[in-house]
Amino acid sequence: MRPVAITGRGAVTAAGVGADRLWEAAREGRSAVGEVRFPRIHRQQVKRAARISDADYEALLAAAKPRFQDRTAILALAAAREAVAEAGLGAGDFGDRCGVVVGSGFGGAETLERNYVRFVEDPAARSDAMSIPKIMTSSAASWISMEWKATGPALCVSTACSSATQSIGIAADLIRAGVVDRCLAGGSESLLFDGVFAAWEALHVMTTDRCRPFSKDRTGMVLGEGAGIVVLESMEAARARGAEILAELVGYASTSDAGDLLRPDPAGAAACVRRAITASGVDPSRIGYCNAHGTGTIANDVTETRALREVFGDAFDGLAVSSTKPIHGHALGAGGALEFIVTVEALRAQIAPPTIDFLGIDPAIGFDPVANVARPFSADAALSNSFAFGGINASLVVTLPGRG
Amino acid sequence: MTETTVRDEDLRRRLLAIVAEEGMVKDREIAEDQRLEDLGIASADFVMILMAIEEKFGVYVPVDSRLTEAETVGDLLDAVCHHIEEHEKKAES
Repeated sequence: MRPVAITGRGAVTAAGVGADRLWEAAREGRSAVGEVRFPRIHRQQVKRAARISDADYEALLAAAKPRFQDRTAILALAAAREAVAEAGLGAGDFGDRCGVVVGSGFGGAETLERNYVRFVEDPAARSDAMSIPKIMTSSAASWISMEWKATGPALCVSTACSSATQSIGIAADLIRAGVVDRCLAGGSESLLFDGVFAAWEALHVMTTDRCRPFSKDRTGMVLGEGAGIVVLESMEAARARGAEILAELVGYASTSDAGDLLRPDPAGAAACVRRAITASGVDPSRIGYCNAHGTGTIANDVTETRALREVFGDAFDGLAVSSTKPIHGHALGAGGALEFIVTVEALRAQIAPPTIDFLGIDPAIGFDPVANVARPFSADAALSNSFAFGGINASLVVTLPGRG
Repeated sequence: MTETTVRDEDLRRRLLAIVAEEGMVKDREIAEDQRLEDLGIASADFVMILMAIEEKFGVYVPVDSRLTEAETVGDLLDAVCHHIEEHEKKAES
């Protein structure tokens, strides 16, 4: 497929405000996961998550419209501002030649929760009139398009953990199809609130210990929150305005297992990775780093390993595979964008960030996922995967500039 | 029979009833040597079973390798008993 230029990145995570904060934490293996307390949960079993610090969030609030914006939109706007600034986009670069594709799994969880609590406590009280426009999953996409007057298509892809990866892939498709010249694409998620967290506990996929992707004795995932936005442009549009091209998006694919709601299927994951690589035209042996979905659940990590081995064959041993979820948490609808940004930085720095809290090789998995310490690699292409509940898979392939 | 095994048997009986109820299997049809697959107990039923165990025993059982590798009802009970014992040990210490 024709390469698409990546010219800007922005991220807000528990590691701090800024894509650099995210990358530094990932590279250094510094976890942003901490203790979280939810007073309304009767018997809180899981007590850790990667939550954005109050100080960071208050700073973002100063530039936000909380009366009209849920935390999800506020995070997305902050990430978008960083990405637009890095890309150096001016007022004339938006209009109907610019689209917005920003995913979210849940939408405005903070507003939804607050509204329900108020309603249950006092059904006679007036509901927040802005609840609906704050809760709708497409709210962040709308706010971003409004901020820059981007009047091309604005979409919200809501496919659980694959939301942001599909968003970036679909944005690239829109650019390649000539619908737009550029897109602000990514995802935003913020659902670390009592009621939603209690529902996550009920699913029993979160660990009460640490999140240890691909490790022996792993017992589940850890939640996170945040937003990641990238600026994607056609190569022509990026060159025409003399933009610095950070990397090229050269492959995207998505498949559906059409099987079990919760249990992933190695064949579906393998088909997705294979199609993305085929679309990129890059030989698998050129891919030096894979930022895995790597949730730390038993099922995902076994399935993903099986899929990668199947697709890469002999080249698997030369591939550095790691999961950065123990650093930034599983940010669900934002996860794919955060991990895409980490993948781009890893490629540019030629450093595979580590999978921290790794205890040892699980015989059912049988490989070392850049255990605990970052590792240099030498390659001009990288891969990022997202495999969502509901069996929705998505993969992106990037190369260094001029190598697509 | 020692006190511990009586208690264990009682625990397994209670757990078996939970698996039957949440897995929507008739009590008299469930036995430890039966395969979960044959009883039609799938991923979503697992979650319901773990939720009920949490309600009744106050212990959070994450889906670990013991649990995912369980093939029979007995394997599932072993995995859950292990978690309940660990939980009690932690509570005592």
